[in-house]
Amino acid sequence: MSQPDSILTAELLAARPVASTELRARVLALATEAPVAPPRRPHFRLRVLVPVAAALALAAAVAGGIVGSFSSSGRRAATPPPEVFSSSSAGAADRAQSLPARKAAPTPTAGLAPSTSRAQSYEAEIRLRVQNLSRATKRALQLTRSFGGYVRSVDYGSGTQAGTAGLVVRIPIGSVQAAIVRFTALGAIVEQHVSIQDVQASFDARFRRLQTLRTQIAAVQEQLADPKLATDARRTLAARLSSLRAGLVALQRVQSQAQKRVSFATVSLSLSSHKAAVAPPPKPGRLQRALDHAGSILLRELVVLVYVAVVGVPLLLLAALLVSGERFRRRRATDRLLATR
Amino acid sequence: VQTSFETAVEDHLDDVHAYLVYLTGDRGLAEDLTADTFEKACRLWKRYDARRASAKTWLCQIARTTALDHFRSESRRRRREHVYNLDVPEAVEGTYGEGLSPTIESALAALSAGEREVIALRVLLDFDGESAARLLGISPTACSTRLSRALKKLEDGVRSHVAA
Repeated sequence: MSQPDSILTAELLAARPVASTELRARVLALATEAPVAPPRRPHFRLRVLVPVAAALALAAAVAGGIVGSFSSSGRRAATPPPEVFSSSSAGAADRAQSLPARKAAPTPTAGLAPSTSRAQSYEAEIRLRVQNLSRATKRALQLTRSFGGYVRSVDYGSGTQAGTAGLVVRIPIGSVQAAIVRFTALGAIVEQHVSIQDVQASFDARFRRLQTLRTQIAAVQEQLADPKLATDARRTLAARLSSLRAGLVALQRVQSQAQKRVSFATVSLSLSSHKAAVAPPPKPGRLQRALDHAGSILLRELVVLVYVAVVGVPLLLLAALLVSGERFRRRRATDRLLATR
Repeated sequence: VQTSFETAVEDHLDDVHAYLVYLTGDRGLAEDLTADTFEKACRLWKRYDARRASAKTWLCQIARTTALDHFRSESRRRRREHVYNLDVPEAVEGTYGEGLSPTIESALAALSAGEREVIALRVLLDFDGESAARLLGISPTACSTRLSRALKKLEDGVRSHVAA
């Protein structure tokens, strides 16, 4: 302030208006009726509200995550365990590996018993994942011999990390069930397939054909035994007898081979020692599940926040603009009012 | 620190009264408006929060609202009666303070209510620039400008009266 200003303000201050005694008494009378002290109201500030809101959102997410992890574990317990073994299903190895105690259990197909009264063609294909390929292959060969069977073919090959072996073995039909059980105990079952085909009808047909041939041979032999038989007719009958005997022998051979074939079951064993292409993911623990749930809840909160921001911010801006405009208008009006007095 | 209403009255009655005298330029009206201000303040005292503003600021804000409401109703009344007078009101001795020279009284009376208001707030009530600006609803810079213009006008008015 300049010097004259200072003198002026000093004079203004010295002559400052003072309330009259009447006014003082009037206002003090009001004061005696007023409350002694105003109650403290909660005073919210943005810099406090924002961290508190963030903390609340985080706490809600963590609480939701913990509750979610408990409820999800409850659901899992209520869900029946999946079927581990299947007679011909791929991917069973992963499940079998996750439950190693079950891999030696007899499979449902091992219980398919061959008929003892009818001729049947019994074939089984088993794919196993084994830890030690060499040991498992040797053990399979030993088992085959111990059941009175024989090896039809072996195809063995191993590398530094993986190896496969293919065995086709023949097991006496009476021991095939026990043999399959022992084979499946060598490793984890990847795939299993059992095929039983009834061939009794063809056996019966061949048997009837043999009987017919024998009857015909006997009839021809009886005609040949007649001393009155003409030379030409005897020659013709001799040729027919020879043909019938050859047919009988051939058919007996076929019957014998078929008999031998159905008395043994064919078991194809495929052994592999390579690791699973995709390791099954480890089951998440309760903490992991809680964190997952909390993360998803936080994500949902963020989505809601973004949605509110996208929808609300333009409206808030518009409201702020209107309020600012109204304040400006009022201030201008007030200024005009005070300027004219 | 939260104070009682009675303490606030004792401490700031003269401040509010002086402010309203300068704002209205009428002692009688200022007394009535002061009484109205404290009546409102008594009703609103439950809402007062010392952390937001001092009692003096809060009371002056109420006083300003009360005075502006009065000015508006007075303007409407005058418009209705067609007696609106833009002439400078005649200075009544002792309006702006006991013992104030008639020259300054006249110069103060020649100022607008807005100019007297800013002088009252900054000089008489010793508000700092920021508090006064907040109360007036303007920026601190605008408040400083308004004060210097008002004081300059007051000084010019005093000089012209002395010269006359």
